[in-house]
Parts: sequence; C-alpha cells; structure tokens
Amino acid sequence: MSGAPVSISVRGVRKTFGKKAFTALHGVSLEFEAARMHGIIGPEGSGKTTLLRVLLGLLTPAEGTVAYFQGGAPVDFETLRPQIAYMPQTQSLYADLSIDEHLEFFRDLYGIPPADYAARRAELLEVTRLAEFSGRPAGKLSGGMYKKLGLMCALLRSPRVLILDEPTTGVDPISRRELWDLLYRLLDQKILILTTTAYLDEAERCSKVHLIERGVVVASGEPRRLLEAEGARSFDELFLRRASAQDA
Amino acid sequence: MRFDWRRAAAVARKEWFHIRRDPFTLALALVLPLVMVVVYGVAIDFNIKGVSLAVSDSDASQASRRLVDTFDSSAYFRILPAASPAQAVEDVVAERAKAALIIPPDFEKDLSAGRGARAQLLLDGADNATVAPVSQYAATIQTMASERIAGVDLTPPYTLRTRFLFNPELNSRWFVIPGLTVVIMAILSIFLTAMTVAREWENGSMELLLSTPVEPLEIIAGKAAPYAVLGAVALSFVYLIARLGFGVPFAGHLWVFALGCAIFLLTYLAQGLLISVTTRQQTIAMQLSMLTGMLPSNLLSGFVFPIASMPKFFWFFTMLLPARWFMVIARRTFLEGSSLLQLRVPFAALSASCVVMVALATRSFRRSLE
Repeated sequence: MSGAPVSISVRGVRKTFGKKAFTALHGVSLEFEAARMHGIIGPEGSGKTTLLRVLLGLLTPAEGTVAYFQGGAPVDFETLRPQIAYMPQTQSLYADLSIDEHLEFFRDLYGIPPADYAARRAELLEVTRLAEFSGRPAGKLSGGMYKKLGLMCALLRSPRVLILDEPTTGVDPISRRELWDLLYRLLDQKILILTTTAYLDEAERCSKVHLIERGVVVASGEPRRLLEAEGARSFDELFLRRASAQDA
Repeated sequence: MRFDWRRAAAVARKEWFHIRRDPFTLALALVLPLVMVVVYGVAIDFNIKGVSLAVSDSDASQASRRLVDTFDSSAYFRILPAASPAQAVEDVVAERAKAALIIPPDFEKDLSAGRGARAQLLLDGADNATVAPVSQYAATIQTMASERIAGVDLTPPYTLRTRFLFNPELNSRWFVIPGLTVVIMAILSIFLTAMTVAREWENGSMELLLSTPVEPLEIIAGKAAPYAVLGAVALSFVYLIARLGFGVPFAGHLWVFALGCAIFLLTYLAQGLLISVTTRQQTIAMQLSMLTGMLPSNLLSGFVFPIASMPKFFWFFTMLLPARWFMVIARRTFLEGSSLLQLRVPFAALSASCVVMVALATRSFRRSLE
C-alpha cells in the first residue's frame, strides 16, 4: 500500500497544557483529503502549531482521535511515519552544518539509496537554486535560503505527506513565490500537503482552507466558496471583520 | 525496538561535525586532562617535607642539641631558632612555623638524674593536612633521638620491620594519578554528553529529528560514540603522562584496565545523556552534571577521602557510585597488578551500574515534545 495517497481524519481533538491551565485545541474535527493542499490559517496563538504537532505524534491529545488512511484503508501512524515530512516553524537546522551535510544526514536517517539520493539532490538544488551554496553552513544562509533548505530536507525522500509550519514567514516575496511553485509541483505527485500560514494571500492558493480561532475550527472549505459564504472579498477582509466582531 | 546502524552512524557523524567545529569541546576534552594531571601531579604533593619547626632550646646542653640535630638532619623539618618559648609559640601563631619544639632548662639534668626529661611539641591543629604526617614523623624522630642522646643502641627485644607493598616509598603520586584517571573521565564524559541532547532541544532541531524515523536508541548510541572516542583519546593521554611523565608503574594487565575504562566511560556517558534527555536545558544539565558527576567522583569515590573512614551511611551510599568501583580498579591494576578475577566485585558492580544507566537514558528518551 506504500506510496498510495494519504488522507487524515481528525475527530474531536482536545489538547491541554499544564494542569488543564490552558486549552490549545477545543475539540477540533477536520478532514484532510488526499492529494490536496490544505491551508490552516488563524491568528497567532490559535492552536495551528499544536494541531500539526498532534498530527505528527509529537503531542498526545487529551481527547479525540487522529486516523490515517492510505489508499482508503486505515494505517497505523508508525507505518506511515517514514512517509511523513515535516518542517517546523522554529529554526531547526544545524547552524554549523552545510547544505550538503544536512542533506547527507537526512539521507541516512531516511535510508535513501545512494543512486536515488544523487538524482534527488541535483533536482532539489536546481529547483531551489541553491547549488552554488551547497557548501555553506546553514547559519550563514539568508532567511529564504534557510527555509528552502528546511524544505529540501523534508522533500529528500518523496514523502506522501508534507507538513509545513509557516514555511514562508520571514522570506522575501521572490523566494516566497519560488517556494509556492515548488509546492505546486509536489501536488502533481498526489502528495497531501498541510501548511499553516500568516500570509492570507497564500490561503487563496490552497485547495482547501481551515480557519482556526482560539482552538476552534470556525470555517472550512474551498477558499472561494468560503469567502462567498462569509460575504467577504478576501481573507484579509474576513479576518479583520472577525477580529472586530470579537472585540465588540 | 529496531536498531538501524546507518541511522545511528548518521547521528554520530553529525555529532562529530559539531565537535570538530566547536573549539570549546575539543579544548575541554584535550586540555582539561593535561591541566589536571599537572596540577595534581606536580603542585599537590601529599608527601610533606621541609616543615618549618620553631625551636626554643632553653637548656642549650649536649642532650638538647642532639635532639634538635635529629630533627634538623631529617629532611622533613627545617629548624627556625626562637629566642624564648613564647617566641616559638608566636612563630606558630604568626604562621612563620608549622610546629614548635620547646625544650625546658632542666632537660639534660632531668635526663641524667633519670627523672624523665620532658620536651614539648606544639602543632598547628588548624592545619589538618600537615598535623597527621608531622606527628608521625616526630614519633620516628623521637626514637632516633633517644638512641643518640643515650648513646646506646636501644635494641628492643624484637624488631618490627615495616615494608610498604606496591608503593615502597609511599610516593603519593603513584597513588594519586591512577585515581585521577577516574576523576578526569567522570568530568569529561558526563559534561560533554550532558550538553548534546539539551543543545538539540534548545536549538529546535529535536522537533525535526523526532519527526524522522530515527529511534531513541539510535540517537543515544550515535551521540555517545564520538564522545567515547574522545574520552578514550583523553584517557590514553593521561596514561602516557602518568607512565612517561611521572614514572608511575603499571603492574597489571593493560586490557583489564582498558575494560574497566570502557565500562566506566559508557556508564558516565549514559548518565550525561540521561541528564540531557530529562532536563532539555543546557544550563540545568551543566549544574546537574557537576552535582552528580564531578562532586561524587572527587569526594565520594575514595580519591581524596578514604571510604573506609566514612560514616556507615556513606560507606553504603558510595556503593551506588560507579566512580567508587572504578577507583578500585584503576588503583589496583596500576599498583597491585590485580587480575580480572581479583577485581570481580568492582567489575560486577560497575557493569551493573552501567546497564542501569544505559537503560535509564534510553527509556527516559520520549518521542514527544511534552
């Protein structure tokens, strides 16, 4: 079954931190259909990162379940783990390791055969246009290059699921466009992509958007339909309106 | 649990890159042992010689001069003449002398009258480290002086011939430097590994690492391996300085010592990793490794203070410390040439603590951000 498209079903997930002092997710239920790009948007502190970490098994929910399906059949998370790629929001690369050293490290962790690796490395370096910087340490890369390196590490072994936490934050507009082009190419390979973003124009590029506020999913659907239903022209407008409605 | 060598090797290789590029780690690993061996081996000498002795000889007789000469001719004392008994005491109080010898005016007269002559030796009781050896020297010198004063050979009915086995000259370096291998290894291994996993947490890279297929045991093994090599290099370094620089003899089998080193190193590497895995913060990890690694290996391993003279509680408590057992192995392989069979108890205890530590470090490694 390995290689078939993956979908994820989230049912009533609740996540608390500390002794129930803080609830990050209040019974979140979501469907992440296979081979599509899902955008998770919402204000800071709304629980986006927590949700991704629950999906990755890095956090255990207090209530609710996360079910994974491959080719329509339920699969165990551990079976799926090697096929999931993740790029955390915070800096998570090694400042003293060069681009090539990062790629070699993840090659070995993922057990990629040398021949596949050579082809993949060349392809990724070309797409990201980082070939000439392959010997440069991650600590000396610009913000955009750093994010692209993170993405390269995640994409090294053709994952079936790609989970990105604010991949474009702190990246200049040109690099942002390049990153999105890269993501679109991946969709052709029937990969499930989940991304959070703080840039609302990016939300419109996703095939499905999930709006989260204070740990609750308030809206979910195709970007255009969602805007129509809410009577807003853009996600910016929708956001501002909701924010002022909450304040009132 | 699955164990993939390729993934463990990848972690080890990456860790080696960090070590190579971080001058602090390399310096700590290679310079610290050198500094410690020099400090303990050269500067700190537990054999006390040339103790300054303030002497007030109010008798100034042939007998009193013989007594003073006996002290003077031993290498252990340096005579500092004092004008009066009060002056001699003053010399000790003012730290000009470590001890005072006061001979009263009627010393020779009492002696020849057979009344039992008296002289007084005052020692600085505030300086514990010198008092014990000095009073021992004084007792020996007293016997020698009595013979010289009486002018006869006071041969006792039997002779007790003392010979020190394994270290005939009671050279303290022979005793200290093998023990120093324990202290150096404890500090190095625990400090270096205590930082590594905590660094990954602080760096944010742990989140990424945990989302890959790498298993906890692979991370632990991969992280420990380069430091084990580093520890082995530092240790060979100490061994060479001990043998060549200080002429410490090695009576045992090198492989027995090496085996002990390997088990001890692994135990402390695991202890460092356990600290790192549970604290997740470098500053706390640093303090905990001081508390659980450096202090016990210095104070409770028998390195400075003999375990036999500790209160009962500590006598039992130290049994839990790998450093105590490895101290026995290090000293006995160096000086006594003990075999593995003779050292079976310390080896068994050390191996047990090693297994426990490795198990704890691996099991406490959570594949979760909480």
